[in-house]
Amino acid sequence: MSDDSKLWSKTISDVNSEILVNIENPHPAYYVALAFAITTLLIGIGFVALHFTYGLGLWNFRPPVYWAVDITNFVFWVGIGHAGTLISAILFLFRAKWRNTVNRSAEAMTIFAVICALVFPLIHMGRPWHGAIWAVPLPNTNNLWVNFRSPLFWDVMAISTYFTTSLLFWYMGLVPDLASIRDRVTGFKRLVYGIMSFGWRGTSKQWWHYEAGYGFLAALATPLVLSVHSVVSWDFAMSLQPGWHTTIFPPYFVAGAILSGCAMVYNLLLPVRYMFKLEKFILPEHLESLLRLTLLTSTIVFYAYSLEFFVAWYSGNPYEWALFEKRAVGPYSFYFWVMMFCNCIFPLALWSRRVRNNIPVSFVICVLVNVGMWFERYNIILSSLVEDFVPARWGHFQPGLWEVMITLGSFGLFTTFYLVFVKFFPVVSLSEIKLIMPKPLSSKASGGAHHHG
Amino acid sequence: MAKNTNPDSGIIGIFRHLDTVCAAIEKVRVRPDFAGHEVFSPTSYHEIEHASGFGASPVRAFTLVGALTGTVTGFGLALACDWDWPIIVGGKTPGIYSLPAYVVLGFEFTILLGAIATVAGMLVMGRIPNPKRRVLDVRTTDDKFAIFLPGAQLASPQAQFLRDCGAEEVRNT
Repeated sequence: MSDDSKLWSKTISDVNSEILVNIENPHPAYYVALAFAITTLLIGIGFVALHFTYGLGLWNFRPPVYWAVDITNFVFWVGIGHAGTLISAILFLFRAKWRNTVNRSAEAMTIFAVICALVFPLIHMGRPWHGAIWAVPLPNTNNLWVNFRSPLFWDVMAISTYFTTSLLFWYMGLVPDLASIRDRVTGFKRLVYGIMSFGWRGTSKQWWHYEAGYGFLAALATPLVLSVHSVVSWDFAMSLQPGWHTTIFPPYFVAGAILSGCAMVYNLLLPVRYMFKLEKFILPEHLESLLRLTLLTSTIVFYAYSLEFFVAWYSGNPYEWALFEKRAVGPYSFYFWVMMFCNCIFPLALWSRRVRNNIPVSFVICVLVNVGMWFERYNIILSSLVEDFVPARWGHFQPGLWEVMITLGSFGLFTTFYLVFVKFFPVVSLSEIKLIMPKPLSSKASGGAHHHG
Repeated sequence: MAKNTNPDSGIIGIFRHLDTVCAAIEKVRVRPDFAGHEVFSPTSYHEIEHASGFGASPVRAFTLVGALTGTVTGFGLALACDWDWPIIVGGKTPGIYSLPAYVVLGFEFTILLGAIATVAGMLVMGRIPNPKRRVLDVRTTDDKFAIFLPGAQLASPQAQFLRDCGAEEVRNT
């Protein structure tokens, strides 16, 4: 308690008035960022429209590579979506206080990243309007049911459950904060926020059920976080393709997902912290904790990469070993080394407290981690596909214009969603940050030792 | 005193400090003349929960029922489809022999329905949304605590009691 009071220069009375400034008065940089994001999104939409008109032939798909950049993006965005629920659910159960300042951003990031992820399998179908029929358990024209033993179907279930649960978790967290906004604004805005907050009144009974429900949601979401990327990894691991058919994939994918997610939270939080002047609420200690988590997961990923190589060699399977040799020194080795350096080598700098407290350097490391994680998925998917069981079919793959532009468009989609979110919703959880700040005690109870303000 | 039908009409005492309001809650909750009172708080301080004498929330029953319904639904869906059209996939017999492959479905439905039921439980037990109730004091979603007593008057002894407990302001709503 005494440590907390030294940490904070603000009291709970400052929270609503200073954090909600984003809704009332954003920094000019906000509008520049929003314009940039919308432009990127529109370019992406244009390319997707052409893709729907002329078909998948516009992409560089050539046999034997039919899964490439789109599935890379799918796995990448699902991975980004992981840290949100990790921070909000698992760290909630561990009672990690620092999570209370970053969880809202992380949860919003999860929702938007999963939306971006869902876009890719849909556009990869070429005719996404059929996707609704293929992906849900409805009998098809031959009265057959979907194949419940297929990892692709598990994936549909896992991602849709993850999306729904994360959405509920995020929205329940927002309800008391939306009520706080409702009580600050007037007129039509008050009506809209009132409806969105379900008429939350903040009675002790409501808080009692809310806290219990939040805890249960966290307990339900915790196994979900660990399962979703495991199920995504089974899309690969359940096949017989060398390089994919490995039992290490589930934990390896989950660690990678959390690594990229934490790095992305850091990348998103810093500009928002600057644009809305939240330096007194999102403290350097909280950012540093995020970097420690990034470092931890980076070392797990490093271990997974090494173990994958060791097992490929130790198993004595010549096909497996040939593939891994090609990954490291073959025609696609550039992607492999980008992945190694960005995910394993550069984050090692975070062992140093000086680097962790140096915001620009840490920011660059986190950007590099995300680049590395994108190439990790690209490397896994591509290197196994270009050379499969029949040497006569072996081919080559190079991403073309459509791949690049639609990938950029997905970043535009993600950023637009995120920036619209920070304009209309509290970017730091108001009710939860109050819990980790010094409690508003009378001078009698605190013995006059604490000064609030 | 004429019975007022508006549930929001009464007196409200505003408190600034957590310890003061907790001490007040402990006193008012055993007084028969404070029956039906409500406590407002800007966030979920556990001190208030303890002072109010709350135990385990019934939301847990919603979660359990939802989650178990999900487990049954998930496994049931896969098995029912197998029963409707038994088909061998990858050389594996359909039905309970393929149960390991259905664990994912059972698990996902457990979480999905459990989460939906939990949120439903929070809303039902918290009695929201309820368009008939309004916010009594906007400061309670910011940084103040409050105790509300429906149907009481400003001149009543209850109002004086709230002042004695440390309320910095007592007013009609």
